[in-house]
Amino acid sequence: MLKINNLHANIDDTKILKGISLEIPDGEVHAIMGPNGSGKSTLSYVLAGREDYEVTEGSIALDGIDMLELSPEERAAAGIFLAFQYPVEIPGVQGTTFLKTALNAIRKQRGESELDALDFLKLMKQKTKNLGISDEMLKRAVNVGFSGGEKKRNEVLQMAMLDPKFCVLDETDSGLDIDALKIVADGVNAMRAENRSFLVITHYQRLLDYIKPDKVHVLAKGRIVKSGGPELAHELEEKGYAEFLQEAA
Amino acid sequence: MAQPTPIKKDHKLDDYNIATNCNSSFNAALPEWLKSARLNAYTDVQQSGLPTPKWERFKYTNVAQSIKNKNLSYAPADISTERDLNFVTDLTSNLNALPDWAKSFLSSAPAGQEKYQDMALWDINSALFENGLIVNILAHSDQDKPLNLTIKGRNGCHTQPRFLINAGENSHFTINETHEGEGDFWHNGVTQIHVGKNATLRHYRFQSNPDNAVHTQNTAVTIEEGGTYECFTMTMGSGLSRNQIHVSIIGSHAECILNGINLLKHEQIGDTTITIEHKAPNCTSHQNYRSVLNDQSNGIFQGKVHVHQIAQKTDGYQKSDTLLLSDTAQMNTKPELEIYADDVKCSHGTTTGKLEDTPLFYLRSRGIPEDEARALLIQSFLGDITERISDEHIREMAINQVISWLKA
Ligand SMILES: Nc1ncnc2c1ncn2[C@@H]1O[C@H](COP(=O)(O)OP(=O)(O)O)[C@@H](O)[C@H]1O
Ligand SMILES: [Mg+2]
Repeated sequence: MLKINNLHANIDDTKILKGISLEIPDGEVHAIMGPNGSGKSTLSYVLAGREDYEVTEGSIALDGIDMLELSPEERAAAGIFLAFQYPVEIPGVQGTTFLKTALNAIRKQRGESELDALDFLKLMKQKTKNLGISDEMLKRAVNVGFSGGEKKRNEVLQMAMLDPKFCVLDETDSGLDIDALKIVADGVNAMRAENRSFLVITHYQRLLDYIKPDKVHVLAKGRIVKSGGPELAHELEEKGYAEFLQEAA
Repeated sequence: MAQPTPIKKDHKLDDYNIATNCNSSFNAALPEWLKSARLNAYTDVQQSGLPTPKWERFKYTNVAQSIKNKNLSYAPADISTERDLNFVTDLTSNLNALPDWAKSFLSSAPAGQEKYQDMALWDINSALFENGLIVNILAHSDQDKPLNLTIKGRNGCHTQPRFLINAGENSHFTINETHEGEGDFWHNGVTQIHVGKNATLRHYRFQSNPDNAVHTQNTAVTIEEGGTYECFTMTMGSGLSRNQIHVSIIGSHAECILNGINLLKHEQIGDTTITIEHKAPNCTSHQNYRSVLNDQSNGIFQGKVHVHQIAQKTDGYQKSDTLLLSDTAQMNTKPELEIYADDVKCSHGTTTGKLEDTPLFYLRSRGIPEDEARALLIQSFLGDITERISDEHIREMAINQVISWLKA
């Protein structure tokens, strides 16, 4: 269970998140929708522990463990995974090296033994199969020269490899054509499990046709202004966000 | 190969009077032309003294001061080769029977002297050298095994090794140099290289002297038509190092590739000074250097591309990028283009910055601890240079040295 309570966060003394409370039980998928600039990415960064953001009030707990006390790498080991809205290019670091380093760093923190080369390759083969990620792509430097779709698929691959408990997907659908969207959605759906939960951030309802959420929340100006079932996404698609922007103002 | 000769304690190095005690018994046996070349060099140094920051190209690098504080005696350099090759011979025993090309190397003025009048380090080597190697790569030969050289500094000594290298027409060869040692010393090397028509010479250098050492190395390269000279220099050691390279491209369709990595910490000073003279059309010169500076270290990159009027269609590129790991580290760069031809493609650029937050956060969000994430990003920064190294084995060696530097 991920529990966010009255979360406030600033960047450079500008208040971005103004009291967010959310509970995402294990096994559930929640969606956050909201206009540009409402604080969706900020929320995802704060969950993952980015240090440029100052949490001024509130709490984040995963299975009762206080996340605000932990560094980004410790949160990753505790089970938080963030699929970035803009995946970062790391020139000169091969995809497989990166995955192996990350996986073994996490296993080490979790008190598990490091995977040897063979077991790692087996695992990788298994996870790449359905994501349409070629060996060639993994030999290249992380995200360098990747298309938008390749970058997003690569995020989902990392997610699958690192076996998280709670996944945040920040606009993983943006910039994807319908085929790429389906691949990504299938990848996420394949990971749905009783002991794993998801927070899917999106601007459009389209993604939610493929990843069916249990709950939908609307974020506007740093606050959750409405929560509901999957039908809320359709409502937003029709009416837009104007109503919420006025209410939140 | 040559055993290290016993250290000669009678030859003290006196700062501004550097050549006064050069070994007279060694000199006595030399041919007249060489004696007079050594005397000329000796006279020049007597007049100029050692380079100080008053000299334009030594603005950031005070060689005089770093040598003056040492009490060093002359000793022949400790040079060892991994295996014997019939075309690699000892310089000392051949000084009376040098091939013409080697003679002309030893009797010519230091590369760049005419223009800059600041070649005292070269002159000191000319006045004092007693050993070195002659490498005469036969035309059309293609050696798959490289020449692996180790040049060791000796505590309390200054050494002045001289290397004369001729890559014959159409030959292919690789030279790997390792510079190391212990204690307090000064290495002042001069290497002269001729790359013949359509020849390819790859030259790799790793310098990991202790912080007490001073490392000054002059390298002059002449490249003929269709020739390729590729050099990679890894500087990790020495309290003060100066890698000075002067390339003259004298035949068309020749190529010069200079790459380097400087990893500096503590109070190390690492200076790379390059001049490339394009004296023929349709040639390429690419310089790519990356530095990582920690603590109070100081990096210097001075690169000049000089395109003579005849050198139309020159492709000249020069880049120096630096990553500062501390607020007290400093990089000084001075890129220069001097162009007299009108149809050329030349550019230069320098960047200096810190590790970026976003990639660091990206890696950490994947569970990679901060230290390891930083190390990966530094490796990634340097990957741009290591991937330019043609020799796979050397590339791996460079990467491994970067990794161990990061861990130390
Ligand atoms: N580094 C920053 N410095 C200052 N303001 C920022 C910074 N990053 C984001 N913001 C502001 O915070 C608000 C929320 O941004 P963000 O979380 O990226 O929104 P969303 O993802 O919903 O589009 C915006 O008004 C944006 O301009
Ligand atoms: Mg966003």
